Amino acid sequence: MNSPAPKSQAAVSPPQEQDTLYAVRQKVYMRAVSGIFATWRWALVWITQIIFYGLPWLMWNDRQAVLLHLTERKFYIFGWVFWPQDVFFLAILLIISAYGLFFFTAIAGRLWCGYACPQTVYTEIFMWIEQKIEGDRNKRMKLDKAPMGPRKIAIKAAKYGAWGAVALWTGFTFVAYFSPLEELLKSASTLAFGPWELFWILFYGGFTYLFAGVMREQVCKYMCPYARFQAVMFDPDTLVITYDESRGEPRGARKKGVDPKAVSKGDCVDCGICVQVCPTGIDIRQGLQYECIGCAACIDACDQVMDKMEYPRGLIRYSTENAIKKGWGSKEILVHVFRPRTLIYATVLVIISLAFVWGLATRDPLRVDVMRDRMSLAREVEGGMIENVYRLQVMNMTERPRTFVFEATGLEGVRIANNQPIEVGAASTQSVNMQVLVPYDAGKPGANEVFFVVYPEDEPGLKLREKTTFLFPR
Amino acid sequence: MHKLIQVLWPSFLVAGVVEVIFFTVINPRELYLFGDPVYLDPLATYSIGFFAFWLICAASSLTTVYFQRTSDDINHLKLHQ
Repeated sequence: MNSPAPKSQAAVSPPQEQDTLYAVRQKVYMRAVSGIFATWRWALVWITQIIFYGLPWLMWNDRQAVLLHLTERKFYIFGWVFWPQDVFFLAILLIISAYGLFFFTAIAGRLWCGYACPQTVYTEIFMWIEQKIEGDRNKRMKLDKAPMGPRKIAIKAAKYGAWGAVALWTGFTFVAYFSPLEELLKSASTLAFGPWELFWILFYGGFTYLFAGVMREQVCKYMCPYARFQAVMFDPDTLVITYDESRGEPRGARKKGVDPKAVSKGDCVDCGICVQVCPTGIDIRQGLQYECIGCAACIDACDQVMDKMEYPRGLIRYSTENAIKKGWGSKEILVHVFRPRTLIYATVLVIISLAFVWGLATRDPLRVDVMRDRMSLAREVEGGMIENVYRLQVMNMTERPRTFVFEATGLEGVRIANNQPIEVGAASTQSVNMQVLVPYDAGKPGANEVFFVVYPEDEPGLKLREKTTFLFPR
Repeated sequence: MHKLIQVLWPSFLVAGVVEVIFFTVINPRELYLFGDPVYLDPLATYSIGFFAFWLICAASSLTTVYFQRTSDDINHLKLHQ
């Protein structure tokens, strides 16, 4: 690493082919890298994983703060309880995520892939473990070439063991989002998990191990649907990781500090370190490729080499197609961030996000479904009244028990027989049968509109009107 | 191996999406199996549901892979039998 100059392209790719799942693959031995973008990547590893591993342990209102309780069919998210009827919010959230992805991709390419995607994050963690146990790139390549022996077995076992522990913990955490952590911990202390809980811990943990430990860049190259279509969101003003060909070529080795012009060469010293650090094993100098996940490891690596050579940084840098072609500086690149495509994405994103917040803020903490009783249509009862029977499902979406009052309106003299307030438990549903009585001359034969009005006893302002039909005999 | 992944992976992705949509709309406690209410633990129903979807989607992927063979592949096969 002291003098990158004499290394040539031949040292770049270790010819060790593996016939794996998708295509013949040369194992990528990624060289560790440090620098500003590596720091960003690690910052995102920390942020996302503190959230992921920590959230199930957070408590709120004496319960798990975030619990997508599948058995109860209720999603607890901090102060909210979502029911299957709230699927609207989930849909909006997915649309917001999609537009967010479009927006960021249009501005700066695969930011998601390079920094925040779980595949990147877990690969980063698994590679860190690999590096700690097996050593740096050269040691790893040597170890893999070495014949099997006690030392190799011990090192490999330690690595696989550490990976396995992380994977299991990840699987456990994943299941804790869907099944209460408290119960999981109790089962964990006796190792008596429910069969399906255990299955999903192993399933998710197993896939984490497989994707982050074994398959790595193949997931991005062959399995990721996003990688296949992200290019349509690119335009000539999208920031992508670019090798400045006009500055770098003709590439070639030379001694440290030599002026490139003096040896009639470009700034690229052809050390191949940009290829060695690439997690997908591509050569960025061949231009933008769909395999590039935009992790910027090559930028960090090349900047270090440029520093050593005492050349200016940025031979590989974030730039745009137009900027390279027209020789723009960072100011012009910044101006071109504001273009119709990004402005439209941003506008849509803001509008949908506001709609989401508005919907959440004005969400009724009460919902009532009214169903007609199918057994009895309309019945004449004492006192010249017509009776229809309904089944009301009352959902109390607050986290405290509430008493609800019922009224019927919409027809002259309409009333509910044996009308009584009903208590519904915290975040639960209660079904109740109601007989509605209407004087026989108050409506036309056939269907008539009536309304149930429901409100909590302690908050009469929250009136919910549910429309239904009242049948008169013909 | 390549073919196997071509069948299993896309079907896995689609099965995940179908699972979410299906069980958002349908409560596993409201399902009937051969006329009897499903008595299983909901977690088991979700899980079995997922694998059923996966299997169905995999069958579709398998058919795609099967029909993708070119006439050369098929003719070649016959010649050497």
